[in-house]
Amino acid sequence: MKAYNVINTRLPRVDGRAKATGDARYAADLSMPGMLYGAMLQSPLAHAKILNIDTSAAKRLPGVRDVVTWKEAGLVKYGVSPARYDEQVFCSDKVRYVGDEVAAVAAIDLETAMEAVSLIKVDYEELPVLLDIGSAMAEGAIAIHEDFPGNISAEVHQEFGNFEEALKECHIVRTDTFTNKRQDGGFLEPQACLARYDLNGNLTLWSSTQSVHYVQRSVAMVLGIPVGKVRVVKPYVGGGFGPKAAVNAMELAACLMSRRTGKPVKMVFSREQVFLHSRARHQFTHELTTGVKKDGTIFALRNVCHLDGGAYSSFGIATIYYAGSLLGAPYKLPNMKYDGYRIYTNKPTCGAQRGHGGVAARAGWEQQLDIIAAELGMDPVEFRLKNMMQTGDVTCNDFNMSSLGMKECLEGVRDGSNWGAKKGKLPKGKGIGVACGFFVSGAGYPIYRSETFHSTATIRLTEDGGGVNLYTASAEIGQGSDTILGQIAAEALGVSLDDVRVHSGDTDFGVDLGAYSSRQTLMSGHAVKMAAEDTKRKVLEALSEQLNVPVEEMDIARGVIVFKKDKPDFSRLRTLYIKEHRGWADQPSGAELTFREAARVAFITGGVIIGNGAYKPGELGGKYKGAAVGTSPAYGCSAQVVEVTVDEETGKVTIDAMTDAHDCGFAINRTNVEGQMQGSLSMGLGEALFEEVRFDEKGRVANASLGEYRIPTALDMPNVKTIIIESDEPNGPFGAKEVGEGAIMPTIPAILNAIYDAVGVRINELPITSERLFAAMKEKRKK
Amino acid sequence: MLLLPKFDYEEPKSLPEALAMLSELKGNGKVIAGGTDLLVNMKKGTVKPAFLVSLRKVEGLREIGGENGGLAIGSHATVSEIADSDRVGSMFPVLARSASCLGSPLIRNRATIGGNIVTARPAADLPPALIVLGAYVELKGKDANRTIPLDGFFTGPGTSVIESGEVLTRIILPSAPPFTGGDYIKIGHRAALEIAIAAAASRLTLDKPDGVIVDARVVLSAVAPTAIHAASAEKALIGQRPSEELFAKAAALAEGDCSPITDMRGGAEYRRDMVNTLVKRTLLKAFNDARDMKGGNA
Repeated sequence: MKAYNVINTRLPRVDGRAKATGDARYAADLSMPGMLYGAMLQSPLAHAKILNIDTSAAKRLPGVRDVVTWKEAGLVKYGVSPARYDEQVFCSDKVRYVGDEVAAVAAIDLETAMEAVSLIKVDYEELPVLLDIGSAMAEGAIAIHEDFPGNISAEVHQEFGNFEEALKECHIVRTDTFTNKRQDGGFLEPQACLARYDLNGNLTLWSSTQSVHYVQRSVAMVLGIPVGKVRVVKPYVGGGFGPKAAVNAMELAACLMSRRTGKPVKMVFSREQVFLHSRARHQFTHELTTGVKKDGTIFALRNVCHLDGGAYSSFGIATIYYAGSLLGAPYKLPNMKYDGYRIYTNKPTCGAQRGHGGVAARAGWEQQLDIIAAELGMDPVEFRLKNMMQTGDVTCNDFNMSSLGMKECLEGVRDGSNWGAKKGKLPKGKGIGVACGFFVSGAGYPIYRSETFHSTATIRLTEDGGGVNLYTASAEIGQGSDTILGQIAAEALGVSLDDVRVHSGDTDFGVDLGAYSSRQTLMSGHAVKMAAEDTKRKVLEALSEQLNVPVEEMDIARGVIVFKKDKPDFSRLRTLYIKEHRGWADQPSGAELTFREAARVAFITGGVIIGNGAYKPGELGGKYKGAAVGTSPAYGCSAQVVEVTVDEETGKVTIDAMTDAHDCGFAINRTNVEGQMQGSLSMGLGEALFEEVRFDEKGRVANASLGEYRIPTALDMPNVKTIIIESDEPNGPFGAKEVGEGAIMPTIPAILNAIYDAVGVRINELPITSERLFAAMKEKRKK
Repeated sequence: MLLLPKFDYEEPKSLPEALAMLSELKGNGKVIAGGTDLLVNMKKGTVKPAFLVSLRKVEGLREIGGENGGLAIGSHATVSEIADSDRVGSMFPVLARSASCLGSPLIRNRATIGGNIVTARPAADLPPALIVLGAYVELKGKDANRTIPLDGFFTGPGTSVIESGEVLTRIILPSAPPFTGGDYIKIGHRAALEIAIAAAASRLTLDKPDGVIVDARVVLSAVAPTAIHAASAEKALIGQRPSEELFAKAAALAEGDCSPITDMRGGAEYRRDMVNTLVKRTLLKAFNDARDMKGGNA
């Protein structure tokens, strides 16, 4: 492998100091002179007609500067997928879930704004409340959206190969049903924003978001402002995981009220509002029928999925496609049939969350594959290895495995966990389980149909090259993209990471679709690499003229010019530089011509040196309906082995050890790759064992706090052995592809399979609480 | 965003000054210690005191000291101080164990033993251990003081016999008889930040290492409106020779002593099953410690 100076290292994060010391400013920390505070009125009812809204008392309250409802906001529909724009800033005809936005207030302080909200009187006429798929799909059920009778928000029907025919060749056919629970994103930073509409009609929105680009477009469309006059800036963000990947009503309300009052308006979600806004993982119910030949060849899969979508669509159209398209791989599977239904209910809207659409399906299927392996008398690792795809394979739904280190992942966790010495040999109550996973490395298409670049990047050198300014609209949300992109820029330009200042998360810096579907390293990485190469070329071209050395015979590395043949006499340039910097302490010296000197020459001869890059994926496979969801320039894959102890008298599961291998193509930053792997495992552990958003009979969230909605604590995390697999992805910058989401895929099924190994029960409903497992063991003892 | 309502805040420098202040405030004032429960409830709007009175400047309320062969613990000792105290760990390991289960390391640094008692939550971690240890609470008022057993202090969820104007100042643990051992086990979902789904504390005293049980205390938590004695289990143990069969019998009886409900944290049936497991396990540990006199006497 080629030797690198900046990438494939363990350099510390560029935002590490700011975050560790508390210097980092998040959206809720922002403040401006004359700023107003906003608060929202949200529906207390899950389904009701709005008969009247009386804002007069709120408007009269001293200190109130603005009160807005649909009358002020208008009735423009927006959402995520243009085909399903089904939201308004504020409800006009009816409310569809507890938390649906009805009005907002801007006032001189938060107390006044909240008091004013309490003074808004809304007359409602209650409607039947549909809280689950069964009641929403029942004959005669009221339509939550008039245009969607039967409350089907989306359905998908796909068949690749011929499932029914394939079953005839199968030796084992089994059907299992699996269900997870609705999740909350569980990010530490609640959404917050600050909107400022200036005297020239320019709107700036600072917001805790995963995509400044999508928010910019939505704000422009909904408020009728030219997109060029809307700037969206992302300060530091404390996690997103999906729910922050689209605009929210609070951002739109703050922009609207700032435009109306001429004052900056700040709004912050409470933790309860985070749960009400939701847009996190759906509850999936999968009925999976798998057919396997006598020799252990996985041959056919039928997947029927129902999603409890909540009141609006959000990312749900993509979710229902992903819930089908992400199965099959990483195994060779020639016949796959999928029927998916996303159902509207009177609950907060679900959307995208880490492992979008694929996590529950993966959990159910990898558990089923374990059952089948046992029926065949095959070791679960051997069974998986037998069916594994490899680099160059194409799935039945036309996903191209341009690189796939799946075999290496599986062998890595097998050997890393000492599987052979443990599987089937552990005492009762202790178990070991394995599973595999697979995910896209960036959605191949934007969420709106467009030929747009997915990412652009610009590098502007300071006058002597001492500062390399990288401008990108990509979203550092805690995952580390600023560090990764800074490293890519530094490597491609030939300088150190310390020389690069990363300016990101601002629509003024370019176009970037943002941090979702595991795209920043691959997509933005390409754009940044191109910008750095463009910059390098411009510097070397200027130098070439001065030194009469052809560009091809020069390079830049470690901050100095590399002359591939004879080193020319550059003393004239050095003298020039030194004369210009008389009295300065850091004059260049030594035998090498420095990047600073070269960049200075380039500036003096040609003005500011700017390099540009822009990336969008090339031609992707799949011509069938829905092929746009799941096709990607590359695919990441992973395998995990989990070891557990089950307390048979309490049902308590303790995760003793996790061994995780992930193929990220090429690790730009090894520590960061491991961080993403560990973070994914923690999230998967929480979904497996603890997490569930619960509702009361009126559709109110019953556990809208991090006290009663349990994400894992540091004390719940076992030690994790991480194994990085590098398969050198041809479509990735420097061979890199995703690690942000795919790593969560095997966690839940590996835990399920380990529990079975420990106590011999199969759990088909998450979370695996002590109570649920205890009940299952009790049931088994009765039999 | 949840906002803390407006309130006045006082820091009296002595106990008499504090008691006079509370008496004058007549129920409009509330004592704030760690604030881990109070401030959260104030943000939620479930309690709205006009005044908060902090006793942080009152001397002596954080001391952990010997008293008549037992221990006296100031009501403002933090839960982490109790969990980490060598003295508590060697004399009353059951209390140290229950303290180390409360909340999270961060909450333990703020929460106090007094606060954990006076808030009277049905699933509080310290009361079951304190009750099996036979703890007394010292209550001081402007005009009168009293020291009463903690057993009987609680009257329901969030309520106790403490009167408005009274301050809990000390928790007194009498010395334990020889050949005594105990245990506390809590069941929650996570390794920290958990309110018990069910918990049990037990203490056994033998007449001699291989003798019969002369005193048995079994207290259950989160399975009734307050921490309760598993009275029929206790009765079945006294006078008997310890054995796994006896403990299983007591555990089965304890199931009948509790009245769990189904709520978000767990179902009634599971809680009843856990009472069985916890009573059995705490009794076994109590017996082993009593027989061996390991790690202190309770």
